[in-house]
Amino acid sequence: MNLHELAQRLGSSAAERLDVEAMQHRVLAALRETPVRRRTWIEEHLLRIAAAVVILVGGGLAVRQILPRHQDLAGGHTSHLVADDLSDLSTAELQDVLDHFDDMVGANTVVPDSSDLHQLDAQQLRTMLRSLEG
Amino acid sequence: MAQPQIITAPADSALIAAWQSGDEQAAAELVGRHARVLARYLAGAGAPDAEVDDLVQETFIRAFRSVDRFRGQCQFRTWLLTIGGNVLRDYGRRASRRKVLPLDDSLHDRRGDPHEHAVASEAEERLAAGLKVLPRLQREVFLLRAQQGLEYDEIASALATTPGAARVHYHHAVRRLKEIVE
Repeated sequence: MNLHELAQRLGSSAAERLDVEAMQHRVLAALRETPVRRRTWIEEHLLRIAAAVVILVGGGLAVRQILPRHQDLAGGHTSHLVADDLSDLSTAELQDVLDHFDDMVGANTVVPDSSDLHQLDAQQLRTMLRSLEG
Repeated sequence: MAQPQIITAPADSALIAAWQSGDEQAAAELVGRHARVLARYLAGAGAPDAEVDDLVQETFIRAFRSVDRFRGQCQFRTWLLTIGGNVLRDYGRRASRRKVLPLDDSLHDRRGDPHEHAVASEAEERLAAGLKVLPRLQREVFLLRAQQGLEYDEIASALATTPGAARVHYHHAVRRLKEIVE
């Protein structure tokens, strides 16, 4: 008897002994006990969605880590306008600030003649300060 | 004269679809079609006689619960046999943890019919013993090919390998088993 014939005989007595009808009942009873829960679309794709979220969040964080360094290297930082701190100053105080603006920001900025400033109101003065700051 | 009506049995795929839409009888029909083949495969792969029924049941339950993942890459029967292989492996692990005699020594349940044991040839015993020492993939490929008569393409699809690799596993298995049996 060759190997193939022997292999085909293997397990045949176990197969003959099996009570098929009883097995059908057993399987159905077990399936009824704990019914198959159909998976929804979201459950089937949850892992992929989670992976995509992790990649997006991780990528976002990595970009955030890298970008500020670039800005630092380029001398960039969030600009802070001095004019924003002057909102509660009076017109006279603002005119005084403008008179001394050269000293505050350096000599390269051209400040209008102080005699002209007296004709401006507080809002116009603030606008001018902002424009001088760039 | 009226032509005799030929009633063809529904294909496995139709029964799977029916089961998925809640038809219990479709599941029963699938059990009826494949239970004996599965039992023969499990016994050939080393399942103890006393455990075959439970392992067949567990295989069907596992298959029906995960039938959504069956994409028709191979026949339902082949897919079922590979699940049976996994169930048997899990059983072996559980048995070894419980320190129950694993597949090896209980392969042939001596409590069975004495006449049956007498009939079992010595060569068959040696083949069963030889299969136990083969690597899992070689054993499964050998059984699917020699016992179940499947083509290499079908075996490869079921075991997620290539037909060439399946052929190699088969030839290694045959060479080793011949040494043991002859």
